[in-house]
Amino acid sequence: MRFGSFRSRLVVVFLGVFVVIQAAGYVVVAAFVRANARHAVEDELRLASTLFVRQLEVRDHELVTATRLLSGDFALKTATATADYATTASVLENHRRRVDADLLMLVSLDGVIVADTHRPERRAAPFPAPRLIEKAETERDVSDVVVIDGRLYRLAVVPLLAPEPIAWLGAGFAIDDPTAAELRRLSGLHVSFVSRQDGRAVVHASTLAEPDREALARQLPSRTAGVMHARGGEHLLRLELVGRDVLVVLQRPLAEALAPFDRLLPILLAVAGTGLVLALLGAVLVARRVSEPVLTLAAGARRVAAGDFTTPVRIEQRDELGELATTFNEMLGGLREHERVRDELERTARLKRFFSPQLADLLSAGDESLLASHRREITVVFCDLRGFTAFAEAADPEEVMQLLHEYHDAIGPLVFVHDGTLERFTGDGLMVFFNDPVPCPDPAARAVRMTVAMRDAVQPLLRHWRRRGYALGFGAGIATGVATIGRIGFEGRLDYAAIGTVSNLSARLCQEARDGQILVSQQVHAEIESLVDATPVGPVPLRGFARPVVVYDVRGLRAEPGPPAAQRATG
Amino acid sequence: MRRRLAGAALVAILTAAVVRLSPAQTATGRVDAVVSDDRGKPVADAVVSVTSPVAPPAAPPAAPAVMDQQNKEFVPHVLTVAVGTPVAFPNRDNIRHHVYSFSSAKRFELPLYIGTPAAPVVFDRPGVVVLGCNIHDWMVGYVYVAGTPYFAKTGLDGRARVGALPPGTYEARVWHPRMKGDPEKTSQPIAVTAGEPDHLTFVVGLKPEQRAPRRPDGPTYDRPQS
Repeated sequence: MRFGSFRSRLVVVFLGVFVVIQAAGYVVVAAFVRANARHAVEDELRLASTLFVRQLEVRDHELVTATRLLSGDFALKTATATADYATTASVLENHRRRVDADLLMLVSLDGVIVADTHRPERRAAPFPAPRLIEKAETERDVSDVVVIDGRLYRLAVVPLLAPEPIAWLGAGFAIDDPTAAELRRLSGLHVSFVSRQDGRAVVHASTLAEPDREALARQLPSRTAGVMHARGGEHLLRLELVGRDVLVVLQRPLAEALAPFDRLLPILLAVAGTGLVLALLGAVLVARRVSEPVLTLAAGARRVAAGDFTTPVRIEQRDELGELATTFNEMLGGLREHERVRDELERTARLKRFFSPQLADLLSAGDESLLASHRREITVVFCDLRGFTAFAEAADPEEVMQLLHEYHDAIGPLVFVHDGTLERFTGDGLMVFFNDPVPCPDPAARAVRMTVAMRDAVQPLLRHWRRRGYALGFGAGIATGVATIGRIGFEGRLDYAAIGTVSNLSARLCQEARDGQILVSQQVHAEIESLVDATPVGPVPLRGFARPVVVYDVRGLRAEPGPPAAQRATG
Repeated sequence: MRRRLAGAALVAILTAAVVRLSPAQTATGRVDAVVSDDRGKPVADAVVSVTSPVAPPAAPPAAPAVMDQQNKEFVPHVLTVAVGTPVAFPNRDNIRHHVYSFSSAKRFELPLYIGTPAAPVVFDRPGVVVLGCNIHDWMVGYVYVAGTPYFAKTGLDGRARVGALPPGTYEARVWHPRMKGDPEKTSQPIAVTAGEPDHLTFVVGLKPEQRAPRRPDGPTYDRPQS
């Protein structure tokens, strides 16, 4: 679980870094695009305003030219010169229609309105743009954008020459929303005409909607360029003076310039999303790659904890984790070696239960195939104490145990001295066989010598215990025959056992033997006849045997200079 | 220059002789006027007139005066006539002209014509009559109709001589087509005596000429090439 969270932490950190990088990239790109769009719009506005002003100049010139053409009309001059006001007004109206002007005014040389097509009642009022007349006295193309009656007009003023100036003719074209709309069609920009009156901006004509007009009037910057906050976001503005007090404002929403980017945005997001998914996969892969060896090592450690020192961890990496795995495997080797040694010691100790230490070492060092199940002719010795059952019932447990202890101490070593294989202990009983697992040339002789040695060894003990009132004796039986030999029992409690008639026979002979008797079978006797003094004991009926068997009681070993027994006793 | 002075001296001697020989006036004076602009440059085509309440009205000359139209210009630029003088308007161009005047002193119109109209136009009221041509916007001419017999027009040197003045007190005035202000305000009293001429100096401010340009691409109010 901890490694799971380690892995997810890796993934989270990886993804976090990825997202931060992506976000930073997006922010940089967005800022760049925005700045770019801003520059583009500013450039566009600058260019457009140049063209725009130029276009206005051309239009003004056309207006002046048209006005001058009207001023050349002889009938107008005649009517004016003759102070025929009705005719003058009529001619003016006629001429207004000719050039499709919104306003024609005839102004006396002293600046008083003589006739006005727009507001005839304005006659005799001062001309609203006296500055233009002043200018027209010395200049030829005189026009300006002026406010008349709150409306914006492009007004041209030319003299009525007869041939000296006899009056001024003013022609005005209204600048209204349709005018602005037409200019927007040409430029693609929002166009507004704004006058400054008493420090206040008034929007006279515009392509903007009403709320944005108000916003413009409020936010009109004092410089030639600026920014306005409209409903649709920021607008970039450019201002050009087109009249003495009249500005034309060209503007474009930044959003329009950003529209291509807005179209790009979903693609960017899709790319970022795909990147995120790929990064997630990559992060998971990397995290797995990083955590997998750790998990492998953890699994290895768990196996070690469970006692499995054999399975190494497999991490094919040339890094710290690989090194760790190598060390881990080396540790496993050390543990295995340690366990092997311990096992060997244990096995040796176990073997020593049955075999002489030399044999046990031999078996321990070599293979245990000697101990595999097999049949072989062996010589089996059974011996026990006479009267032990009665003694065990009567005596204190401590005494029983003490007796057994002394007894075993006395006879136990003799088993291994004579290279016998200790098959089992059963209280006072003892079963030893010869010629297995390591064959020997004289199993019967060894068996008899060992048994005689045991009988001699227990004599002091028996005397001691008899003195203490316990009638104990020693008896043994020896038989030779083929038995099935091998390990029996279960793991942890294995015995090396010899199963067969020979075991039964020696056990029965032991049962039959009285204190001090060593009963051997006829076959055994035949093999050791020369070595021992033995007296035949008539055919003895034995349980489990159909016929009585002839047995011999070994009284003692013949005194013979044969060295083997002496050597073995000392070896 | 020397020749011009010599010429002027000769004219003065001859005039004096003529005056002296005149049966009506045995002794007359004269006025020599110099007109310059406010920068000291001599002003041509200025009319200096000398009036007196007791002076006789101008006697119209027997022969009509002439205002030519030559090369699409009025020649002379300023014509001075005594009141009641008939003026002929011969057209010496091979295209027609349409001479008109809206001036109160003489309002008339000679619609498109070639050659010399049969009847001259009689300028029967004193004052300045501005002449135009309906088909040539730049054409402008002036007829100065004097109510007094004593008047003269300055030449290129800005000088004008008004002679045959009986001794007495007069008022002298100057007028120019482009002068600023009222000509009446240029009035100067003079006492004319026989013999020595009175010397008068007029300084007039001039407005820029306001005329339609002759060339389509020409400067706004250029002086026509005559």
